[in-house]
Amino acid sequence: MSLPPLLLRSPRHLRAPGRPRRLWWSPSLGPVSVGSWRGQSSKAPAYWNQVVSEAEKIVGYPTSFMSLRCLLSDELSNIAMQVRKLVGTQHPLLTTARGLVQDSRNNLQLRGLVVLLISKAAGPSSVNASCQNYDMVSGIYSCQRSLAEITELIHTALLVHRGIVNLSELQSSDGPLKDMHFGNKIAILSGDFLLANACNGLALLQNTKVVELLASALRDLVQGVYHENSISAKEDSITNDIGISTWKEQTFLSHGALLAKSCQAAMELAKHDAEVQDMAFQYGKHMAMSHKINSDLQPFIKEKTSDSTTFNLNSAPVVLHQEILGRDLWIKQIGEAQEKGRLDYAKLREAIKAGKGVTSAIDLCRYHGNKALAALESFPPSEARSALENIVFAVTRFS
Amino acid sequence: MASSWWRWRHGCSWRRAARTPGPGSPGLTGPSGQHPAAAVRAQMSCFYLVKSLTSACLNMYSISRLHHTTSAVFCYSKPRSGEKYTDPFQLGRRYLKGLYEDIRKELLISPIELKEMSEYYFDGKGKAFRPVIVVLMARACNSHYNNSRDVQASQRSIALIAEMIHTASLVHDDVIDDASSRRGKHTVNKIWGEKKAVLAGDLILSAASIALARIGNTTVISILTQVIEDLVRGEFLQLGSKENENERFAHYLEKTFKKTASLIANSCKAVSVLGCPDPVVHEIAYQYGKNVGIAFQLIDDVLDFTSCSEQMGKPTSADLKLGLATGPVLFACQQFPEMNALIMRRFSLPGDVDRARQYVLQSDGVQQTTYLAQRYCHEAVREISKLRPSPERDALIQLSETVLTRDK
Repeated sequence: MSLPPLLLRSPRHLRAPGRPRRLWWSPSLGPVSVGSWRGQSSKAPAYWNQVVSEAEKIVGYPTSFMSLRCLLSDELSNIAMQVRKLVGTQHPLLTTARGLVQDSRNNLQLRGLVVLLISKAAGPSSVNASCQNYDMVSGIYSCQRSLAEITELIHTALLVHRGIVNLSELQSSDGPLKDMHFGNKIAILSGDFLLANACNGLALLQNTKVVELLASALRDLVQGVYHENSISAKEDSITNDIGISTWKEQTFLSHGALLAKSCQAAMELAKHDAEVQDMAFQYGKHMAMSHKINSDLQPFIKEKTSDSTTFNLNSAPVVLHQEILGRDLWIKQIGEAQEKGRLDYAKLREAIKAGKGVTSAIDLCRYHGNKALAALESFPPSEARSALENIVFAVTRFS
Repeated sequence: MASSWWRWRHGCSWRRAARTPGPGSPGLTGPSGQHPAAAVRAQMSCFYLVKSLTSACLNMYSISRLHHTTSAVFCYSKPRSGEKYTDPFQLGRRYLKGLYEDIRKELLISPIELKEMSEYYFDGKGKAFRPVIVVLMARACNSHYNNSRDVQASQRSIALIAEMIHTASLVHDDVIDDASSRRGKHTVNKIWGEKKAVLAGDLILSAASIALARIGNTTVISILTQVIEDLVRGEFLQLGSKENENERFAHYLEKTFKKTASLIANSCKAVSVLGCPDPVVHEIAYQYGKNVGIAFQLIDDVLDFTSCSEQMGKPTSADLKLGLATGPVLFACQQFPEMNALIMRRFSLPGDVDRARQYVLQSDGVQQTTYLAQRYCHEAVREISKLRPSPERDALIQLSETVLTRDK
């Protein structure tokens, strides 16, 4: 298969001094096959860290823990106390909390960072001078910084709300019912607290269009999470038969909408016109899609995955594999991979890798990456724009 | 604190108190949320005032459970419009035709199940208490300002939004409390499970926010987002508890304000902002809503003891079973100090709930709480009477009395 166009374009955008040449720009990049990445994949986290830390310098401060920073209040000490009571139980909230506090780079949490970068990349509006009196630090208005924080708050709130458990489905291995009930309680309240803070933050922006945008992003996100839940609930029966286009719609809702609308809102705050807002939206949407596909691909491209690593049957490579293979053959493959009613993920993984699902997913990832880069072209060249490009490169390198 | 106590002691005759209202007792208007220390002191003084007053005036003013007759004494202004004495809810509901259909339109989204869950409580069978107050207040303010009796579209929107925010919080509260029934039917969490119920609540909230943004008024957005924050903080207040008996009552009133009154107060304020530019009117609307809201919740807490499950549509002694010490319990504790231990352990031991209930029914806790609710209603009436007369203003006055006499 031919080299995707983005790779041909990339050298021009290498701007920041002192950065090592991107490692994937090597002749061994021919046809994409999983085995050829053996040498490069171990450097991926280091490269990613570099992209993020460069970007953070550009926006002026580290953006990790952004959503947690705003929780420094009495409620937080109350929440922290309550969450501590969950230690030793099996409630998902503990895992979520741990994930938030750990190095967020490993989790690739970068909504806030992207919003800040795109704000800086767009700069002040050339046509509308009404923002002249706004506070600006490192090229970003304080309202835009606020917006970045609000985006992270909304994301984290739903992350927390995803961790609610259905009490009627608990098994004895999950531990005492009252622990789960208590965990649910704290999860709901913490999520609501984050949402309330987000709403207050939105109100302070004094811009009704931005409020509408972010509220609709929340609505999209809720629908997206709902779809995720419905699908994972059916995992055992594996009866869902969604094609890739439905997958894209649902993934846009659960992963793309928030970032896309947030980027658009950042432009609105600086009073940019509709075209600029649309470009920002497109960047956010496509970058988020590539990012999701990238994370879906990880179980299939890492060399050293243990046999027990599971993967989501609703992830991009699997959905594509199913679509290419056809439903009947796919059901047959699943049947073959089942032993005593339990799914042998390692076996299924091999079956999927042997097909075209993984490569199609990589192509799809690059397709969205290209779209994101295309959207960026309408922004003037700058450090911030390069950082945004580098983020796209980081999620589309295979990877 | 002492001076206000003395004022009441001396004015301790009901007729006199009716004719010379004077500055409202600081404790009764409840916390404004700005001066917590002063508010706590004021609330504590209120607590003791009520105790001393009722014990002093018990023979003059026999406090029975559903005393709708006596409250007529406190009606500072009789309805002066030519219209017949109509049920305020009827008047309000006329302007709310199609309210629930319109709310359902805001919830049009594709996953059918999610839509069904979100629409579940918007079936028109609820009391619609909040939307009724909102539209009546809208018209009262519009009449006061420029004699216009129309409700603006934006004001009607506020009615929808208030009901949606309220419902979203109910859905989440039911999961938090693991409730099985509400309004005579099963709760969303029991039918569809907790995971989806939480998402349904989030969805309703997002729809309310979108509708709020579309009104296009940043002041109104600020006013109503304050409600969302107060609702969450109210729940957190309910999670924690105070050791000190005196602080407990202040804590209870604050929680009552945040969980119930804030929505009503701020919705009233929002419609007044949309209808009239005078900040004095905004404050009147806010104070009316706040006082009615607190009274409403106090009576709700009373009904948890005095009513039976069928009438309420939800099980009773629910608060005790959740470990919550409400008004009647706190008052009863004054007479029966042994209740302190039960309160501190949140009625967690077997038999605690029944024992507490017995204590309350034996004490005058119910009467005290009802009396307190009356005081708040009177304050509400006093405020709203400052507006120019109109059928809606009078309806609001009647409505505050209905709050006291409801039995479900």
